[in-house]
Parts: sequence; structure tokens; C-alpha cells
Amino acid sequence: MIEKNQSYSNIFLNGILNENPIFRLALSMCPAVGISTNMMNGLLMGIAVLFVQFCSSLTISLVKNFIHPRIRIPTYTLTIATWVTVTDLVLAAFFPVAYKSLGIFVRLIVVFCFITMRLDVFARKNPVFPSLVDAVGMGFGFMVGMMAIGGIREIMGMGTLLGYDILGFRPLLFFVLPCSGFFVVGFMMAIFNYTEIIYNRRKRARSVA
Amino acid sequence: MKEIVKITIGLTLTCLIAAGIMGGVFVITAKAKKHNEYLNFKENMLALLGYNQTQPAPDSLQLCTVYRYLVYQGEKTSLGYMLPVKVKDANDIHFQFIRVNIQGQFIDQFDLDINAAKSSDSNDRKKAIAKVLPKDISQLIFADRFIVATNDNKRLAYLLPGKTPGFKTHINFMLALDSQYGIVGLQILEHQEDPGLGAEIEQEYFKNQFTGKNSERLKTLKVIKEPLPDEQLRFLERGKWGADAYAQKDIDALQKKYQDKDICAITGATISSVAVVNGVKNVVTKFVYRVKILENIISKQKIAVAF
Repeated sequence: MIEKNQSYSNIFLNGILNENPIFRLALSMCPAVGISTNMMNGLLMGIAVLFVQFCSSLTISLVKNFIHPRIRIPTYTLTIATWVTVTDLVLAAFFPVAYKSLGIFVRLIVVFCFITMRLDVFARKNPVFPSLVDAVGMGFGFMVGMMAIGGIREIMGMGTLLGYDILGFRPLLFFVLPCSGFFVVGFMMAIFNYTEIIYNRRKRARSVA
Repeated sequence: MKEIVKITIGLTLTCLIAAGIMGGVFVITAKAKKHNEYLNFKENMLALLGYNQTQPAPDSLQLCTVYRYLVYQGEKTSLGYMLPVKVKDANDIHFQFIRVNIQGQFIDQFDLDINAAKSSDSNDRKKAIAKVLPKDISQLIFADRFIVATNDNKRLAYLLPGKTPGFKTHINFMLALDSQYGIVGLQILEHQEDPGLGAEIEQEYFKNQFTGKNSERLKTLKVIKEPLPDEQLRFLERGKWGADAYAQKDIDALQKKYQDKDICAITGATISSVAVVNGVKNVVTKFVYRVKILENIISKQKIAVAF
């Protein structure tokens, strides 16, 4: 349930920092590792996920009173699958250029667990507008995470960023291989956790003083 | 009990609504999607023939598709070719279906009731063919197709779509052959190789290595693990250096110099390189064998093909 003192900006930032789907919740790791070989893939995937999350949250928060609690998970899956299929078909028909590079990734969104999680944790219990803010925040969090991982892997593996040659040579080819995704994600998680520890320590020090 | 009924009704309704939405969107987008796929395919074909936005294809350019089918009639198997044929006093292309047995002998031929627009749809084709074939045909399977590009009634090239198992999944590619069955160009249509490694098969410096290899040379073509010499690399990527980087004389000389060289593997992607080379060899060998039989039959039976 939405807390009384929680503002919309807090809900939005929550998805990017406190509950970043990749780095804090460690959800939807397969796509984060598999697809993020370059920054463009991360960006496109992030946009597609943002759209699906937005539409699904809207749908669920609108019809939440009609969903039988026992079958809520199948209902979420169906909702997400419907929106993913719609995205897939529309992209293929009207944006062939984007579809060329996104193609197979779009269909993967059906199994993204953090979308289901957001529907169950947030959209089911809250009115439409906060749900939408939460959806956008979560979508952005995922997009930023994917772009960060993709950017690091691209620049370390191929020496380019968004397709532009930056370094002029390839530092470590290993970074474009799937296994390096785990290293980068783990590394980013460590940074997030470390920042949190430092932040809390400062906060405590300030409250004592 | 009441609960179960409620849940069942709820789920069924959800499914129905979801199916309705998806079906609706599909109906709206199906036509545009098909059209896009066709455009993409055509763009690739024209790119192989050397046409692009700055140099558009002439109106006299015609692309005729020949479809190959496997026909099962009881124990016997035969090959079926669906050929575009010219008709006097008509602009539209008609189609004929000829059957050839495994030994390469002509069996029979039928006129098909299908127009050019409908012929790109696989179901329409199958229906039209099944209508004219004898009734005891047990199975009709679409095998592959090739495209003959003609300009002013002269054959420019054969375009062969092909498929080969790559490092991860199938690599779809298209080859252009000249009338002597030498390779004019290679285009990678679809693949899922690793970016930075196998995905380099898309790059000019790999694709252009195939240019100029004739069907004799292809038989012994293999992948060598040697770095590309700088001169050859620069030559293969000449598309990047602008139009005046090479004079026509230099291009001819360099082309001749590297014509008979084997294919240099991509660093870190030997499997993908070998896969493409094998795929190309396979497609060309089979095509040359088949097209010779087909040409023979066409000239013997005096079929007025459109290419």
C-alpha cells in the first residue's frame, strides 16, 4: 500500500535507485546478461520494457477489483503477454528498422519477472496514477541499468559506444561474451551496495551530531 | 464449488479478451508486416545486384522467381518447378508447373491459374498447384526458390536464398551468381552470432572475399587461419573509402590477384566463418546441378520462360 508521506517523485526514484530491478532486486537477470552486449540494445530493450510495464500496470490497476485473488498470477501473465504481442506486432508492421535490431528480444519480455512483481506488489493495491508513476520509474530503472551494463560491455569489449569508435582498439574481447554480463552486473551491484553503506553511515553520523 | 466456477469463468473471460485484443491488432498489422518483409527482401536483392538509393534499379529490371517443390506420389518422388512463363499479348506473367523425376527426366507440365501478385503467397501457390496435379499426390512440399534477375531480356544474375547452421542458430544469407555461376555477391540476411565475433560475418571484409569465386574454385574453397593482408583488407572495404579511392584498373588488378585465394577466417569466429563457407558451397553446387537439368528441359520442351 502506498504510504501517506510518499510523494510521486519518491515513487519514481524508488524504481531507479532503491529498488532498481537489476542491481537491487536482482530480478530479470537473464535478459540483463544476455542482451546487454552493447548500449543500443540496452536502450531499445529498456524502451520496450517501459512501454509494456506502463500498459500492464494501467490495465491491472484499472481492473484490480475484478481479479479473483487466487488467479492473479495467471491474469498478470496474460496481461503482459497480450501487451508484448501487441508491441511485437506493431513494431514489426510500422517500425521495421527498430524491429530489425529488437526482433527476438521483444518476445522475451513476457517472462520478465520484475514486471509481474510490480503488478502484484504495487498496481494491484494502488490507484491508477501512482501505479503509472511506479511503472515509469521501474521501467526507467531497468533501462538505465541495461544501458549502464551495455555501455560498460561495449566500451570494454569493442572499444565503441553506441556504435561510434571511442577507443580505437579493443581492450578485452571477453566483455562481449555472455559470461562477462555476470561480472559487470556483480560489479555494479557492489557499487550500489557500497554507496548505500556510505550513505547510511553519513546519515547516522549526521543524526548523532 | 462456487469458487471454482467463478475462477473458471474469470480466467476464460480474461483469455477471451486477450485473444480479442491480439487478434484485432494482428488483423490490422498483418498486411503491413508482410509488405515490410517483402520490401526488406527486395532491398537486399537489389543491393546484391549493385543498385542502391543513389543508383536506383531501372524499370526494365525484372525479378522472376522459380519455386521448387517435392512431389510425393505413392512410392515415387519427383521434383516440381513452378516457372514464370511469357504469354503473348499480355503484360502479366503466367505460371507453369513442370514435374521432373529424380533422374532428371521431364514428366509432365501444367498451366497454373495464378497471377503474379498471388504467387508470393505460399498458400495460394500450393492451392493452385494442387488443383492441376493428378489426384493421387500424397504430399506437396515447398523446397526452395531462386530468383532470376533480367534486364532488357538479358539475364543479369541468379539470386539464391540459402540457410546454413551457424554457431548458434541458422544463418540466412543470399547469394548472387552471374550467368557463368561465379559469385557476384553475398548478403547475410539474418543471424544470431555473437556480436564482435561471429557477427562480423556481416562485415564487408568478410562478405566481399567471396566475390569472383567461380563454381570450379568453390569446390575446393576452404577457410584458412591467416590474417588478411593490409592491401586486401583495404580493397575489400573499398565501399568505405569513397568512389575515387580506387581506379577501375586497380580494382580489376586487385580482384584478379585475390580471386583464387581461400577465405580468411574471422578472428575468434572460425566456426561462423566455416559455416558460411560451407553454406555457400552447398547452395552453389546444388543450384548449378539443378539449373543445368532445368535449362535442358526448358530448351527441349520449348517452354517460353519469362527469364
